[in-house]
Amino acid sequence: MTVAMSSDGTIRLEGICADADAEPLLRLLVEHRDAAIDWRGCTGAHSAIIQVLLAAGVNPLGPPANAFLRDHVAPLFGAIAASGGTDPVRK
Amino acid sequence: MNELLEQFLIESRELAEQTTDDLLALEQSPEDRARLDSAFRGFHTLKGGAGIVEFDAMGRVVHAAEDLLASVRAGDAPLSADMVGHCLACLDQIGRWLDAMETEERVPAGADAVASTLVARFAEPGARPAHGTPAPSAASDRPPWLRDLLGRCPDVRRAGVAVRYVPHGECYFRGDDPLALVGRLNGLLALAIHPRNAWPQLDHLDPFACNLVIDALASGARDAVADHFAAVAGHVEIHALSEGTEAGGLIVPERAAEILRAQIALASSSDRGSFDATLTSAGRTAGNVLRHLRCDAKAAEIDAALARSLAAGEATALVAAIETILAAPDEAGGREGTADTAAARPATIARTLHVDVGRVDAIVNLTGELTIVKNALGHAVRLAQDGADAASLAPLLKQQHAQLERLTAELQRSALSIRVLPLRQVFRRFPPLVREIGKRLGKSARLVMAGEETEADKVVVEALYEPLMHVIRNAIDHGVDSPEERNAAGKPAVPVIRLSGRREGEHVIVEIEDDGRGIDAAKVRHAAAMQGVATPEALAALSDDEAVELIFAPGLSTAATVTTLSGRGVGMDAVRSAIERLGGRVTVASRAYQGTTVRLTLPFTVMMTQVLTVEVAGQLVGIPFHAVLETVQLRRDHIAPVGDARAFALRGRTVPLVDLARELAFVEGPRSSTVASIVVVALGGELGGFEVDRFGERLDIMLKPMGGLLSETPGVAGTTLLGDGRVLIVLDLEELLR
Repeated sequence: MTVAMSSDGTIRLEGICADADAEPLLRLLVEHRDAAIDWRGCTGAHSAIIQVLLAAGVNPLGPPANAFLRDHVAPLFGAIAASGGTDPVRK
Repeated sequence: MNELLEQFLIESRELAEQTTDDLLALEQSPEDRARLDSAFRGFHTLKGGAGIVEFDAMGRVVHAAEDLLASVRAGDAPLSADMVGHCLACLDQIGRWLDAMETEERVPAGADAVASTLVARFAEPGARPAHGTPAPSAASDRPPWLRDLLGRCPDVRRAGVAVRYVPHGECYFRGDDPLALVGRLNGLLALAIHPRNAWPQLDHLDPFACNLVIDALASGARDAVADHFAAVAGHVEIHALSEGTEAGGLIVPERAAEILRAQIALASSSDRGSFDATLTSAGRTAGNVLRHLRCDAKAAEIDAALARSLAAGEATALVAAIETILAAPDEAGGREGTADTAAARPATIARTLHVDVGRVDAIVNLTGELTIVKNALGHAVRLAQDGADAASLAPLLKQQHAQLERLTAELQRSALSIRVLPLRQVFRRFPPLVREIGKRLGKSARLVMAGEETEADKVVVEALYEPLMHVIRNAIDHGVDSPEERNAAGKPAVPVIRLSGRREGEHVIVEIEDDGRGIDAAKVRHAAAMQGVATPEALAALSDDEAVELIFAPGLSTAATVTTLSGRGVGMDAVRSAIERLGGRVTVASRAYQGTTVRLTLPFTVMMTQVLTVEVAGQLVGIPFHAVLETVQLRRDHIAPVGDARAFALRGRTVPLVDLARELAFVEGPRSSTVASIVVVALGGELGGFEVDRFGERLDIMLKPMGGLLSETPGVAGTTLLGDGRVLIVLDLEELLR
């Protein structure tokens, strides 16, 4: 299981999270809105996973175990958490 | 002639014609964005076609033209008459090549040399915007997202190219991972992700639809980046950031904006004494700033606003004009429009149909025969008017009716055959796709196709691509076994996926067969139980074959299924609903260690529909017959209220009961108080009951989709006219039972 809720109530992303994991992840996030998310064990994440995390406006506990996610994607979550939401695309 | 070549010639000629029109229009009005986009797409699609028939020379030529138009689209340079000329010369040459190919049935000799000459023209100075020297307006015309991105980049001096990538909403289904593609970009410096449409409430988010806009900044050359994104070329906007502007580019618009803002302050503060002079000064300065940035059109707007302000004796017009420019420094609207037209393209292409002349001739002949029957009927009418008795007229009318019946049936068949396409149209897109998926997943597979000549309704053929791709992708991803397993089982090293089509009566059967490890029924049962798809008792009662069918159940498409099952899982319910929308069925058969076969049973034509007519509140309604399970008469005290709905029990299963009269907003008439007439339908494994007033008969009808205002009517799939002139409303069961 690459996306799962551990006994301490943390949603953990482990290994390579494929597009098929997006739906269970979304379900977990909907059911446990305040759950902490930990993606330190995440070695890869499909766009669909990142999309769910962005839409949820969460700031997962990192750094993730993948250079691209760590250097480029993780900072986006920080920015969102700091500004309290995502900017829609400007027109 | 080879079918592929024939299709290529037809398509390329159309595209070349369309693109020529676009270029000629651009020559007149170089600012016409829609024409520019259309021309760009024209070359892009031509390139695709050239690739398919392996006409490299043509590919090179159209690539050069496409590249040029791409940089014009990105705002690197305005379109010059020379550029248009070069592009037209390409199309001219392509026209000659196509003519030659039609007679020689192969790639024309000497094309390579001609292509090289043509391509060389694009490289001449002036023919294309040079990447090293910035167009002076480039920096000021940068869209806001690009300025944001530059602001985010820690090492802006290295930035050479900016990319805005708006992936297709359904790209996940195609196996794309847009972020991974961006992540693999060499020299990636900065990344920003926005939602394309504002994020919905989390519980309304569709995790399978891509809603991302990805902006990236990279070092390196434009061409390299364009190559990297070649597979999604229609979805990316690439901007070359020219040298020298890394430092200056950011500052100039900022500085310009500062000056413009100062002019607003100046214009607003001007007192009565020096009103005219101050306002003129503010307006002129603002105009000059814009002229300096090569935004002459906007400068003219300022001049006009200044004149209005002076005439009115108020600064409002000028201030408003400057504010507008500050708020929207680029034509964001135009860009949005581009994405829209690109998305709408497949729909427009699908509007044209290439029909075999023989089929049209058959229809023309039939109209001739119909005229003869019409004349014969006229004769019968005259006899009736002259007082012939019914007994002598009857045999005549009977004979003419029989003829008319035969002819209308034939006409219907001929008319439908116009809409028929061979499955090849969709099958031929898969060999490259299988290679691509195999490469991406690191599992190679061989695709074997059969029965490509099988014909089906155009609507069916065109709607098959997505579900087929899904099934094939799943077969490679999850169905294919490892080399070790294959070796142990004595199977050939390379897995084989067989895609076949055949006609069976009024149905077209499409099968996707793999020789992988099969689906483990026990594991499907386990996953289904874990995820609450069905109760353990119900699951235990299923045979293995029935259990395997559970992969189509909504809700079983989860990661757990995929990782713990050796079978498929992802989105098979999406495949089922796509096929059912076409009026078809999907089934799966699997043998452990031998493979899995997914079978799509499709109607030959979507237009002929068999319905069961029923009467509801005095109105005749048709229920698609393929879904009707049975009709029952039920005592009313056997119907139980469930919340504000109703349900009844049928052989131990609880079936929700839909009151058709209420659902369709008909005025309800009196009903039998003791017994309810119910039509039981099955849709995707779910049962549903419709309460009606009276059962009717089985009818074959030509379904006419609802058009115009009525197309949004919920629960109605279409209408048809009955023999007695009444309108039959045909239900859309999926919508009603949802």
